[in-house]
Amino acid sequence: MLYKKTINYKGISFILLLFIAFFFLNSTVYAGTKEKNIHLWSEEEEEILNSLWIGSLPPLPESPSNRFADNPKAIALGKRVFFDSRFSGNLKVSCVTCHPENMNFADSLPLAHGMGTTRRRTMPLIGVAFQSWLFWDGRKDSLWSQALGPIESPVEHGFTRTQSAIVIIKYYKKEYEEVFGPLPELDIEHLPKNAKPSSEEPAAFKAWLSLTDAQKETINRIYVNMGKAIAAFVRTILPGPSRFDRYVEVLNKDDRTLLNGILTEDEIKGLKLFIGRAKCINCHNGPLFTDGNFHNIGVPQPPNLPPDLGRAEGIPLVLSDEFNCLSKYSDAKRDECSELRFMSTDTKRFRGAFKTPTLRNVAERAPYMHAGQFSSLHEVLHFYRDLPPEKRLPELAHGELTDEELRQLEAFLRSLSGAPIYAK
Amino acid sequence: MKRCLTIPIIVLFLLALSSVVHADEGHSKFTKHFQKSLFKITQKGLFSVEMIVKEGELKVGKNEIDLIIHDSNDRDVVDAKVEVIPWMPEMGHGVPEKPVIEEKGGGLYRVKNIVLIMGGNWELRVRIKKDDQEDMAGFNFPNIIGGQMHRHQMKLTPKPSEIDLSTVHLSSRKIYRVSYESSPSPIKLNKFHTWKIKIETSDGKPVLGAKITVSGDMPEHGHGLPTEPAMTKELGNGYYLIEGIKFNMPGWWIVNIDIKTSSGRDTVTFNLYLK
Ligand code: HEC
Ligand code: HEC
Repeated sequence: MLYKKTINYKGISFILLLFIAFFFLNSTVYAGTKEKNIHLWSEEEEEILNSLWIGSLPPLPESPSNRFADNPKAIALGKRVFFDSRFSGNLKVSCVTCHPENMNFADSLPLAHGMGTTRRRTMPLIGVAFQSWLFWDGRKDSLWSQALGPIESPVEHGFTRTQSAIVIIKYYKKEYEEVFGPLPELDIEHLPKNAKPSSEEPAAFKAWLSLTDAQKETINRIYVNMGKAIAAFVRTILPGPSRFDRYVEVLNKDDRTLLNGILTEDEIKGLKLFIGRAKCINCHNGPLFTDGNFHNIGVPQPPNLPPDLGRAEGIPLVLSDEFNCLSKYSDAKRDECSELRFMSTDTKRFRGAFKTPTLRNVAERAPYMHAGQFSSLHEVLHFYRDLPPEKRLPELAHGELTDEELRQLEAFLRSLSGAPIYAK
Repeated sequence: MKRCLTIPIIVLFLLALSSVVHADEGHSKFTKHFQKSLFKITQKGLFSVEMIVKEGELKVGKNEIDLIIHDSNDRDVVDAKVEVIPWMPEMGHGVPEKPVIEEKGGGLYRVKNIVLIMGGNWELRVRIKKDDQEDMAGFNFPNIIGGQMHRHQMKLTPKPSEIDLSTVHLSSRKIYRVSYESSPSPIKLNKFHTWKIKIETSDGKPVLGAKITVSGDMPEHGHGLPTEPAMTKELGNGYYLIEGIKFNMPGWWIVNIDIKTSSGRDTVTFNLYLK
């Protein structure tokens, strides 16, 4: 009571005024620096931004195991085969069934549908020429040997190498011979059509064993060359520049005022987190946002599917693949097969590990992860944050991310879209 | 009549023979007592050893096992002197830590502090001495995981404030001086690198005919290199070629080069910091 009486109202209003003035001043100063600071990057950060920039994507790497990889006629032939559904058991499935060109070459399904349902999600094809290992488990070491997988898979094309050779001889003789030379003699009228060396289908396997060695070799050669033509086309599928790339391009010029409006403030904050505290570039690095390597990041396996060991399954498969870099169908010298020669064969280490996917165009192709476990980017980011520490790899430690920060990361991921480029 | 007898006689004879053969197969008096144990009979056939690994599987790091030892009459072996030696047959080395053995009675010996220092092919050698009888058994564990599955339980090394990035180093026991030159240089993420290394003795003489193995790690993560590099060529005059080196993450990496010659085995460690 006593205290109240002695209050000096004039004094109070003066202090109040001071406070108001202080806040006002403070907020204008803050806003001013913010405008400038948002584009302020350290030298090291700028280096990282440049390493992610599409401009640092080198020219297409050589493909020593496929000497037709850059042959324009092989590209044209491969493109036709890519779109041709005659290479399937029901005449309905082609590569584009699951890799539609108008959808980033990826369907939007958790699991792909061909003649049946696959056990994994379709992978995007942009920039795949830069990948040393193909498929989620890396069971193939070249694009041409990769292309030969889906054709004979009962749940994809449901076809055989023998049938493929027959389709090539019947419909692609001219185009084939222009690239690979004269087609070898093969009496296609009397071949068992459903013939392939596949232990899953005993009848087809038996039919394959009934062929002479010369016939098998001829069929394999035509089949391999078809794969090399498809690979020549798939190699041309590249990511197009995104808003993120425009931002880095302008950043490399000196006038920073031009940076305004390319990325929103949220997207820039997301980018800062992505290359900083959230540690995403531990794996999503380089201009394709992938290290091309295999990690078990703890994505839960769908309960309705059999357990998937990922890379631990891929290692023995690629080592024993009849079409790998060291096989007689490869054009590479032994020295040129470094990936296979120096591959880590530690299957225990790679149990449940899957290939880091590119994040270019990631917003355009939900669902996510190797079996489409998550239906939105929102779910993916919550997964990364909420993973219990005992399941979190040290390289996934991200400090604790707030909901706000997850939103910013998502905004950044949405700035990575650009129309793919491929051989027309 | 005679013929009628011969068949049963032959059968009897065969039966007798087979029982002899059985007895001769030896060790028939040794019995495995525990369902989940690994069972071995020692080299000279004096003892049987059952091994139970505490966590089900041996791992890189500290392990504990139980040994149950019986003699050829299936009696518990008590008061024996038991020794356990972890051994890497290909590498020809053991471990610096000594396992600690406690006798629990009734033929049970508890072995603690079995510290396996790296992944790979290990053998646990068990030596048993009871009175004047001495024998041993080896248990093979061909694929000990390099700690990868238990990484979150592993001790990870935080990055020191300063990392010595020099490309010339003495090996840890100072037997060799080693330098490397990388091609391409500077080192880039996700590309293959070939290292030309030079090995000298500490007094500057080139080291020839060395056996070399290469490994690497990110000490903050513990996941190792993405590839398995190898020494592919001895170039002469102390130079060697190492191919297949790759790094897939930005940050602090170490590369260990293990060198074996007649002057001894030693390891040199290089630090790298990749952006
Ligand atoms: C039935 C759907 C389907 C068809 C048809 C199909 N794919 Fe795929 N594609 C997939 C799935 C699913 C994966 C991932 C499979 C896995 O990892 O096991 C994949 C993976 C790939 C990859 C690996 C990409 C990477 O980053 O590793 C390439 C390349 C590819 N497909 C090309 C082709 C080509 C070429 C054809 C035609 C010959 C084709 N696909 C036919 C569904 C399909
Ligand atoms: C340890 C390596 C690693 C780190 C660090 C990492 N990722 Fe991933 N990321 C992966 C792997 C591997 C997959 C595929 C996993 C699977 O399918 O099982 C993946 C999948 C994804 C996907 C789904 C893409 C698709 O096509 O399915 C997104 C989005 C993603 N990561 C974003 C991020 C973000 C954002 C961060 C940082 C918070 C991050 N990742 C950190 C390795 C990593």
